[in-house]
Amino acid sequence: MSKFRKNDETPAPAINTSSLPDIVFMLLFFFMVATTTKEIDPMVKVNSAQGSGVTDLTPFKQRGEIDFVYLGEPMKGDASKFEKGIAIQFDGIISPDGINYLGTWKTNKFDNKPAEVTAPKENIITCFKADEKVPMGIIFSARDILQELNFNSIAYSAQEMGNNAEYNIREQ
Amino acid sequence: MAKRESPEINAGSMADIAFLLLIFFLVTTTMDKDTAYLRTIPKKVETNQPQTPVQQKNIYKIVINSKQVIQARDSIIRPEEITSLNSKIKHFYLVNRNKKENRNIDYPYYAYGSIQLYQDNLDQQTQRLDALLSQEVIDGTTEKMIDQANDAVQKWGEKLDEMKLYAKFSGKKELPEIAFEAHIRLESFIDTDYSAYIAVQSEIQKAVTELRDQEAEELFGMTYTAMNNFYQQKKTEDTPEVRTYRKYMDLIETLFPLKLIEVKPKR
Repeated sequence: MSKFRKNDETPAPAINTSSLPDIVFMLLFFFMVATTTKEIDPMVKVNSAQGSGVTDLTPFKQRGEIDFVYLGEPMKGDASKFEKGIAIQFDGIISPDGINYLGTWKTNKFDNKPAEVTAPKENIITCFKADEKVPMGIIFSARDILQELNFNSIAYSAQEMGNNAEYNIREQ
Repeated sequence: MAKRESPEINAGSMADIAFLLLIFFLVTTTMDKDTAYLRTIPKKVETNQPQTPVQQKNIYKIVINSKQVIQARDSIIRPEEITSLNSKIKHFYLVNRNKKENRNIDYPYYAYGSIQLYQDNLDQQTQRLDALLSQEVIDGTTEKMIDQANDAVQKWGEKLDEMKLYAKFSGKKELPEIAFEAHIRLESFIDTDYSAYIAVQSEIQKAVTELRDQEAEELFGMTYTAMNNFYQQKKTEDTPEVRTYRKYMDLIETLFPLKLIEVKPKR
């Protein structure tokens, strides 16, 4: 009787993979619950500012009450074409007029929604998703435009920071 | 008769299908939540009348310059000390609270409302409204006055309800209300960084939320943040629970109002 069997006598038993779909489905459900859908592809670089005590916008997004304006350096092309090097993205486009396009964009968006899904003007929030280095002057010009049009709710986007994290303030 | 055995379905490709779905979701979704500070822009006012100046004690002025140096009232705050703003803002709210004498003259005073006071005001305004409505000739000026009286009746009615709610939960007879004009005034420069501005907004929000949470915990045994989260999720449903939370939150917001004036930069 030999201690070692010859290799070719019996093949190794196949691994049972019947529970593999279950594992993958579990992963799938985890990702479905933990993530949210991407609205648009970003065309500007946005490094979020840090803050605490921020409000979660998910319920507002679900009701379609929120419009995002992205401000930051453009990902492609020459930043110096834009005022102060900051490009402003409205939905899928970067406007050459910069912030002045905001008024037209908001009004079009508001008018083109069917009447039964349009929230009243005061409930529609304009959210500024701005890069850390965006100067406040641009945001205040935007505020002026919105005030003219009576879109009075705004939001400053920020990421909730951890307990020990510090504010990211550029010292000069 | 023996049952015919059905052939087993081959589930070998199930994993492949699940993987495909998984990868699809990975690609089309993002992990980070959208969070922000909600603010409102004041409505346009079309008057040329000069406004009466607000007393200095009622203003908490914070300035951020183009080099991200922060000044709160008279003190300069270095970026690493920015968290001290939190206690400074709390101090602004609390220093004269529940005090009727020995008040600090540099900080806003409090008014103390009672059921009696609000009831009197409500009765007075209701009488005024009745008197206006019973007039025979109603012209433009009277209409305006009727609108004003209507607003006033509504306002005092709400105040009275809040006072009753406060009395019921706290057992106190007086509701401390910070001076109507008291506000935080946030000034920035054209070149102030967004991140510095947000840091200050964050400190203000945190200070006020902590004050509100504490008060709500004492009164209702539940934090303001928890109530607000619930309310924001369900506000389109008109259930008794939602309405109760709205009332509680209104009371807390009257006790600790967040009045923030963001000034347009000039330079």
